[in-house]
Amino acid sequence: MIVPPVLVAVVESARCSPTSLTDLGHLLQVLGTFLGLSLFSLGGGNTLLSEYQHLSVDQFCWLTSSQFADLYALAEAAPGPSSMLVGLLGLGAAWPEGPWWALLSGYGAELAILLPSTLVMVLACLSWNRLKDSPWRIAFERGLGPITLGILFQVGLKILHTADTNAAGVVVSLVVCVLMLRTRISPLWFMACAGVLGGLGVINR
Amino acid sequence: MNEQPPSHRELFIGMLQVALSAFGGGLSAWSQRIVVEQRGWLSNEEFLTGLTVARLFPGPNQINMAVYIGAAFRGLSGALVALAGMLLVPFSLLMLLGVAYFSFHTLPAVDRVLAGVVAAAAGMALSMGFKILDQYWKDPVALLLAAATFVAMEFFHLRLVPVVLIAGPLAMVWYWPRSSGSGSQP
Repeated sequence: MIVPPVLVAVVESARCSPTSLTDLGHLLQVLGTFLGLSLFSLGGGNTLLSEYQHLSVDQFCWLTSSQFADLYALAEAAPGPSSMLVGLLGLGAAWPEGPWWALLSGYGAELAILLPSTLVMVLACLSWNRLKDSPWRIAFERGLGPITLGILFQVGLKILHTADTNAAGVVVSLVVCVLMLRTRISPLWFMACAGVLGGLGVINR
Repeated sequence: MNEQPPSHRELFIGMLQVALSAFGGGLSAWSQRIVVEQRGWLSNEEFLTGLTVARLFPGPNQINMAVYIGAAFRGLSGALVALAGMLLVPFSLLMLLGVAYFSFHTLPAVDRVLAGVVAAAAGMALSMGFKILDQYWKDPVALLLAAATFVAMEFFHLRLVPVVLIAGPLAMVWYWPRSSGSGSQP
């Protein structure tokens, strides 16, 4: 199983002009964005990564491409579910308005992405006995699985492309990918080692 | 299950304990150890059912699991309390980390280290698809669906939401369980 070295040479879309919004406008934009995506977080939430990248970098210009990659790495390295990335995106979106407003935006973003899926989950728990053997449940589970698979491959390439490191960095990415699949070593070690390689200048971007 | 269902307070503390124990990874294992073995809130079977539900529905699996546990005992309010217990500490730490990042990421030394960390994180992202590829390996239709989804997004730049809304129902029709008779179409 070899991943073809990123054949995509998609040119970075021309820098969009940062949205000029009032503080409250920014916050509402952040909340609305994530509320709308919540129910599409299949496969444990990772299917949304490309969407997050598109929204925060290309569409709303909250972040630069490499900032997005940095935040993704932070969320993966930090303890807790990696879907907490959304909070970091919210933080970044409102950072120009100052740290306190940014923190509010960060907490708001995380609540927004979790609220709809939480409500659905509560309904599902309460009606699970009826749902369990329903053909809808079976078709949903079997049908959405392969779609999730396709999305995850696209997300993987997207993140690799967003990381945009030199050849040494891409080699490290591929090695980490293989080690993730073949060993049970904690990914924190990979990040620490790669961080050292970055500090030494072997990996750069 | 215990004769006495856990209170809101206990749910919060229990999930907090799971989150704190799982610093460094293994959230699912800790969740099982604390909820099933230590506190006896759920039987092992109930816990596994919870995992199935959590994986099936949208949302991050571990967070959904907390919602399941909370909802099982205290309904919606229990779910929210369990969620808060699970997320409050790790999320607040992450926010602090984020503030540090936006304050210092322009320093060249920080940026250089991050370039390396990002390369490793990209490798982790790349492995996600391969991780679940095995279970679909013997199903050509599933592979075709996955490939079509991939091509639509990667090469035709379709966004996730329309792709799921179109491909989802088609896939559900194909995978509709036939043995149990054709279900009524409301």
